[in-house]
Amino acid sequence: MRSVVILTVILGLLAVFGPALAPHDPNAIDIPNRLAPPGDPYPLGTDAMGRCVLSRLLHGASWSLGLAFLVSVIGLIAGSVIGLVAAMGGRLVDWVVMRATDSFLAFPDLVAAVVIAGVLGAGTGSLVFALTVTGWMRYARVARGIGLSLGSRGHVTQARLAGLSPAAIAQWHYLPALAPSLIVVWTGMFARAILGISALGFLGFGVQPPTPEWGTMLLDARVHMRSTPLLMIWPGLAIVVTVLAINLTGDALRDSLAPQERPA
Amino acid sequence: MTALAEVVLRAVVVLAGTALATFALLWHAPGDPAAAIAVARFDSVVSEEVVAQIRAEAGLDAGFWPAFGHWITPILAGDLGNSSVSGRPIWPELRDAIALTVPLALAGLAIGVAVSVPLAIFATRRPGGWLDRGAVAVASLGAAMPAYWLGLLLILLFAVHLGWLPAMGARTPAHMILPALTLGLGVAASLTRILRSGLREARGQPFLPALARRGVPPGRIGRDHVAPHAAIPVVTVLGLELAFLLEGAVIVEVIFARPGLGSFLVQAITARDFPKIQAVVILTALLFVTVNLLIDLTYRLIDPRTRDRDA
Repeated sequence: MRSVVILTVILGLLAVFGPALAPHDPNAIDIPNRLAPPGDPYPLGTDAMGRCVLSRLLHGASWSLGLAFLVSVIGLIAGSVIGLVAAMGGRLVDWVVMRATDSFLAFPDLVAAVVIAGVLGAGTGSLVFALTVTGWMRYARVARGIGLSLGSRGHVTQARLAGLSPAAIAQWHYLPALAPSLIVVWTGMFARAILGISALGFLGFGVQPPTPEWGTMLLDARVHMRSTPLLMIWPGLAIVVTVLAINLTGDALRDSLAPQERPA
Repeated sequence: MTALAEVVLRAVVVLAGTALATFALLWHAPGDPAAAIAVARFDSVVSEEVVAQIRAEAGLDAGFWPAFGHWITPILAGDLGNSSVSGRPIWPELRDAIALTVPLALAGLAIGVAVSVPLAIFATRRPGGWLDRGAVAVASLGAAMPAYWLGLLLILLFAVHLGWLPAMGARTPAHMILPALTLGLGVAASLTRILRSGLREARGQPFLPALARRGVPPGRIGRDHVAPHAAIPVVTVLGLELAFLLEGAVIVEVIFARPGLGSFLVQAITARDFPKIQAVVILTALLFVTVNLLIDLTYRLIDPRTRDRDA
């Protein structure tokens, strides 16, 4: 387990400092050296425009992980608030909010994200919007579930009778109880956001070229599969290793923070 | 309110919500929708009068709610309308696309079940054994492996390198092997994880040793007691698997240039053909609501505990 945590820390550091480590400008075009094999001066070779693949991967790390972080944190905040409103707002509010949640859950989230991002026009803004709109429901469900079970507990009733405002009760009595489970959900959603960002990039609805992003790099590499198969290996490997590390970290966190959610 | 009425009411509310959300999204899409239709239809910039005519035709000039009513009324009668680009009815094209996606999804599901069921059964016979660890590793790797990369790797190996299988298009049955494999391996990964934990829990039930002591043969214990117990989480995730299949189909069809539902949707989005997008969204939502309804009912049927509990 320790090796997984170390790997995740390394990936986090790469997302922050990766661009500084890049040997070249990720967008510098070098046509005479296009599709070069790994070697000097390009450690992982070059793409169809002669751009340094390693530099693009390192810059791509901060794009992919940074955007995924943004998306998953916005979803975390929005979903928790929605879930708590449902749990604390009484039966009618609960019914309405949970049916709205069901409406969003009734649809495969990646397909919904493709439709939203595609209709709003390709770009980073619509990418973040599309993935956030389709990514808050699990937080809401978890927050509501735990919130409902807390509502009838003695200390919460006492706080209510003592005249504490709902916002204060949420802050002092609900959030601490919710935090472990929400963090576990968050790691899963963070990994999903990375997959979503690269999937939309691969379909052409995500981050736009020439921005280095792993999904768009795969899309570019696909055309040169016959001549330069290595080109599509690197970004795919980057995605799989990152998502795997985050998922395993999530499992470890779940075991230590919220063991009741562990599948038997 | 009886439980069944509540379940149906929920389904209707969810469908209405999806329709409204889709329409609101397209209503707020950047650009004038009437102008977009005009440009798509005539393939050039057209005069303001033509745009105004299209706006009136599509009921777009009367504000959000009248326009929503104008759109939803024929759909409620079962008419999905015409493409705003070609002007032709949507349903025949959509039907052809669905006819290509359904066999792909079924083949993917079949591969997923064929791999995961034996793997999970043998893995849980000896928890912690090499096969069990292997199953966990396969499931973890599969969860992290995006379908678009797996598909590309399979093309690289079987089509480019070995030359055994065709990669692009949908002309022959052989064209379905690689897309179905891409989809099926993803399904296998997630099903293995769920089946494994379900079976482990089922095998750990305290009444099993009691049954064995009483002399019930192991085969009968497995069939009558372990399998029903493990089936509950599987039924729960069938809806998720369906979502996974559909998402996977969108990506896989794009990779393998297969003109199914996924390609249909992506092309409609690229062409800004709003009626086509709406048709796909409404049909998908209908499919999911129906499946979830059936799952809910099956759940009540196989797990007696949920019958009296407030769902």
